[in-house]
Amino acid sequence: MKKYITIIILSIFTILSCEKDDICIEATTPSLIITFYNNETQTELKQVLLDSVWSINLYGIEEYKDISIDSIAIPLDLNQNETTYIIENNSVKDTIKFIYDRNDVFVSRSCGYKTIFESFQIENNTSNWIKNISINNTIIENDTAAHITIFH
Amino acid sequence: MTQQRILLFFISIVFTITVYSQEEQDTLKVKENYGIRIGIDLSKPINSFFETENKGIEIVADYRILKNYYAAVELGFLDKTTEEDYMNFTTKGSYIKVGVNYNAYENWIGMNNEIYVGLRYGYSLFSQTLNSYTPNVKGTYLIPETLEPNTEFNDLTAQWVEFVFGMKVETFKNLYLGASISFNNMISTKEPENFKNLHVPGFNRVFLNNSGVGFNYTMSYLIPILKKNK
Repeated sequence: MKKYITIIILSIFTILSCEKDDICIEATTPSLIITFYNNETQTELKQVLLDSVWSINLYGIEEYKDISIDSIAIPLDLNQNETTYIIENNSVKDTIKFIYDRNDVFVSRSCGYKTIFESFQIENNTSNWIKNISINNTIIENDTAAHITIFH
Repeated sequence: MTQQRILLFFISIVFTITVYSQEEQDTLKVKENYGIRIGIDLSKPINSFFETENKGIEIVADYRILKNYYAAVELGFLDKTTEEDYMNFTTKGSYIKVGVNYNAYENWIGMNNEIYVGLRYGYSLFSQTLNSYTPNVKGTYLIPETLEPNTEFNDLTAQWVEFVFGMKVETFKNLYLGASISFNNMISTKEPENFKNLHVPGFNRVFLNNSGVGFNYTMSYLIPILKKNK
């Protein structure tokens, strides 16, 4: 009798101590990563003096206010296939409109679904301080590398 | 010296015979019931009562094949909605588990209780419906809306093994109350596309390492078919 109780209790603890899948630790929806390069040399990073970055009709993103930076990560709109951002560099504004297809991919119980972006392109942009933009990858599925490069 | 040993030898033989014959006389002919025991899992209707989106029923049966061995079967149906942080889905289907229990409990004469260990093979045929989900994104700058695709994944299957520990107590004549815990391990599943079998009827919640746990509290009635000597 005692022996069995011990076995049962031990087994319960073994099961309870199994990996928990209640906490989301996998990568979820990626942000759009933009790096800023020097337009003259094309190969070296050049910081921008960001006043603010905001999506049209929204407030400025908190972490990109009055900061000198050479890359930013901004979220794309998951409710429609386009997002328009305004980037203000040293009091000069430029507007960029991104278009893409959304694809929701199952990740796990705790993470649910993430969205990846396909056929990513720039529909139009103004060129007040931006000299050139190149797209590194038309599929945005992770946060590991820059997706677009802005030359200025 | 030798004589003494011969004497001892005879004495011991006589003693053994007496002891054996005594036992023979003491033995009572005790009959034990063998038959089909049928019951239901009480925990499933109770769960349904408290959680409206969790409807389940399980019928259990076993048949005593040998002194300590019982062939056991469980049949059930489940319709359960699970709410996770980023999604909501419904699992619906039926299952069967077949296997054996080994009774490790040594009963006193007249008692019919069990403390058993068992092994089961489980099979389930079910569907999953992804009712809604919200794409998971870090931050709160552009908040995604919750989508309601109501995608139904039909004809999904799963098979698994269970290790069962449990007990059954005869409360009234032929009426048994039982409780058991099972540790489940998935063998194979037919997974839905772009989703996962996170809950399987009979198996319950599927953990990341493809294991699961089950509990049941049964009330069953023994239909005696034949009596055998203990």
